[in-house]
Amino acid sequence: MSDAASERGVVIRGLRKHYGDTIALDGLDLQARPGEILGVAGPNGAGKSTMIKILAAETPQTDGEILVDGEPWSIDIGVHRVAVVHQEPQLFPNLTVGDNVMIGREHVRWLRRDLDDVERTIMGELGILDVKDTPLEFVPLAIQQRTEIARALVQDARVFLFDEPNSALTEEESNDLFRRMHALADAGRVVILVSHRLAELVQHTDRVVVILDGKAARSLEGADKTQEAIARELVVGAPGAKETDAQRVARISDAGKPTVEVSGWSHDKGEFHDVTLHVRPGEVLAIVGVEGSGARELVRSIAGFEPGAGHIVIDGQVGQDAIRNRTGFVSADRAASLFANYSVGDNVVARLGREIAGAGGALRRGRMSRIAHDIRDSFRIKAANVNVPIRSLSGGNQQKVAIAAAIVKRPKALVLEEPTRGVDIGSKEEIYRLLRHFTSEGHAVIMYCTEVPEVFDVADRVHVVSDGRLSDPLLVFQYPDVKALAAAITRLERHAATPAAA
Amino acid sequence: MTTENPAVAARTSGDRMRDAGSSLLRVGGVFIVVLLVIAVFALLTGGKSLIPANLLGMLRAMSSVAILGMGLLLVIVVGEIDLSFGYLYGLSASTIAVSWIMWGWPIWAAIILAFAVAIFWGCFNAFFTTVVKIPSFIATLGSGTLIFGFTLLITNTSTFNPAYPPAGKVVNPDELKLFTSLANQQLPFNFPMQGLWMIGIAIVVWFLLSRSLFGFRLKAIGGNPEAARLARLPVRKYKFAAFIAMGLLACTAAMLDFAFIGSTQPNAGISFVFPTFAAVIIGGASLAGGRGSVAGTLTGALLLAVLVNGLALLASGPFATQMLFGTVTIGAVVLDRYTQRKRGML
Repeated sequence: MSDAASERGVVIRGLRKHYGDTIALDGLDLQARPGEILGVAGPNGAGKSTMIKILAAETPQTDGEILVDGEPWSIDIGVHRVAVVHQEPQLFPNLTVGDNVMIGREHVRWLRRDLDDVERTIMGELGILDVKDTPLEFVPLAIQQRTEIARALVQDARVFLFDEPNSALTEEESNDLFRRMHALADAGRVVILVSHRLAELVQHTDRVVVILDGKAARSLEGADKTQEAIARELVVGAPGAKETDAQRVARISDAGKPTVEVSGWSHDKGEFHDVTLHVRPGEVLAIVGVEGSGARELVRSIAGFEPGAGHIVIDGQVGQDAIRNRTGFVSADRAASLFANYSVGDNVVARLGREIAGAGGALRRGRMSRIAHDIRDSFRIKAANVNVPIRSLSGGNQQKVAIAAAIVKRPKALVLEEPTRGVDIGSKEEIYRLLRHFTSEGHAVIMYCTEVPEVFDVADRVHVVSDGRLSDPLLVFQYPDVKALAAAITRLERHAATPAAA
Repeated sequence: MTTENPAVAARTSGDRMRDAGSSLLRVGGVFIVVLLVIAVFALLTGGKSLIPANLLGMLRAMSSVAILGMGLLLVIVVGEIDLSFGYLYGLSASTIAVSWIMWGWPIWAAIILAFAVAIFWGCFNAFFTTVVKIPSFIATLGSGTLIFGFTLLITNTSTFNPAYPPAGKVVNPDELKLFTSLANQQLPFNFPMQGLWMIGIAIVVWFLLSRSLFGFRLKAIGGNPEAARLARLPVRKYKFAAFIAMGLLACTAAMLDFAFIGSTQPNAGISFVFPTFAAVIIGGASLAGGRGSVAGTLTGALLLAVLVNGLALLASGPFATQMLFGTVTIGAVVLDRYTQRKRGML
């Protein structure tokens, strides 16, 4: 009996997965016991997402053994006993919350049935019974995730995998989510949390496994489980090219005439009004604001992807021409920045025109390949070669390709939306390094951010948008730590909101 | 590259070759099927299907589908669909016939008019797809019927044969000779003229699609229109180009068939719609956009021509052709998905 008991939970031995030439998992060993929350950390490309996909039967493994409660893993177990709570729930947006919970287990073949008692109880406990008749697409993300949890609970899933579940949630919503995670663990279920947020891993998990290059590199528990220890494991080999404050100040004060100047800038549908801002050469300007504040729309409008009207000058050119010719844009949504049918190399050069074409519009394949290889090396993109499909890369490396493709086009101003959303700490540092390198050549970066640490790490100045109005800028180097900057940003958000509410 | 897995880093040489090889696998696979089918028919017909006259006949027979297919390929690669080209084929031939025979225009003017009309309908389809933003499936379903109605109107639903013009109309015999010479000329080895047109067009489209910036961007736009928009690629312009190319090639195919056959009727192109789609899909183009090749489309057209020809020699009846078309189309897509999965793309 004791033998069987030790096998309870999830046991992974020697798990391997190859995508073509790219090795995503290289003999991963991992054990998750019922009743504990196991944290999984790792740089992008380490194999975390692949492990989840294999467990949930979304992709077949190449080799290795998985046991769930002592039973060998099968597709049936992957589908019914393993539940994944995604960053963006994978449900049916057009169906109601209730339908989403019961779909697939209707039992009755022909007649449409109502929710049964089990479903009602579980939905009640999760606080989503009230919205059972609302189409899923109209409820907030947090409710959608709870719907995903409910759906798994009614199927009596044993293993819950949370994949960056709270990256788009408010603090309150994520606290609630963590409470539910603990409740699941307390009820004897296996809970695995994959996260880039070290503080949460430390606070909410019993044990943290760090995955590097497709293998479990380290397991940290008890007193060893600190943010510093995890971070140390994660950035092994990553370059720490962080600028000193003095360098930062020197760079900004040296900066001359602004690269980007915007004044009297308003949105056609009123998302923001009468904005005035500028970005100097070599400067990274962050625009912060919650969803609906107009911050995202403002940033997009500077790249021409939201309708903005007013005065805009970029590197001496005026108006929409300046936007078209001098800015490059990278969306927060990776699916909207990459060409899935293209290789890594072709994605890198997809924005280029004359640079890769010769007489009669003939492609210069040699030059394309050279550019792609240069970029792969300087951006440290983890790809076996530039001819592998873009989809074989991990999220962080895909994001590097997306940003590289914009930089290769050599815009004067690079406009980014949440440049490191869902990206691990190692790739994050890489991306920040690349942005700093880009600005060091006298270019400007404008980025929409939702996370204060990102602002603190990479931005020189930050504006806060609330209710479509822009705050005065904060100089980031004046704040000693992230907390102080966060407090100042929150103050500006409230401050701006109060008069509008009155 | 310090943290990289050595096994990942190690394999860098020769992958370009392998990559090219695996994308050819698809076309190669169909080509092997073509050879097998040819072998089977050669056995069944006792070698009759292999005599040069028959092989050259097949080359001519595949040319219309291939030329239409290359136009459709461009539209499918950019992520759209065109259901109207069969009707545009009819309209193009009828435009030449009506303006030349009925209105007494010189043949060159009639041909220019037909191409202008084809460009117009290409723009029409592209306009409703990219500006009004109706799905191209619906836009071209509608425009196809509209075009057919228009064709019936200008032809008064009649068939035209320039060798036998209607009462009161005269066709200049020199012009007739010039026109028929577009598709009927004595070439060495009795090589069909239309085959030559097909090869010429194939070289141009191949260059555009596989070797030029135009094709590179066309595939990017088809692969992810939203990313293309955010990358400031000229999405609308390229979709116009694809639909216009489709129109031009439909007009070319119609003109050549008209010149070869010597007569035309309003519904002449409708029977080409299915085989053209089948050829493009068998040739590995993805209906989701972003993927497809000229070599594939030509191979697809060849396969269909071989099947039709072989079945005709065996006198198996029209039912067999239809059944085989259906089977081959589904089979090719199944094969495609299988090879894609082998490559780890799905």
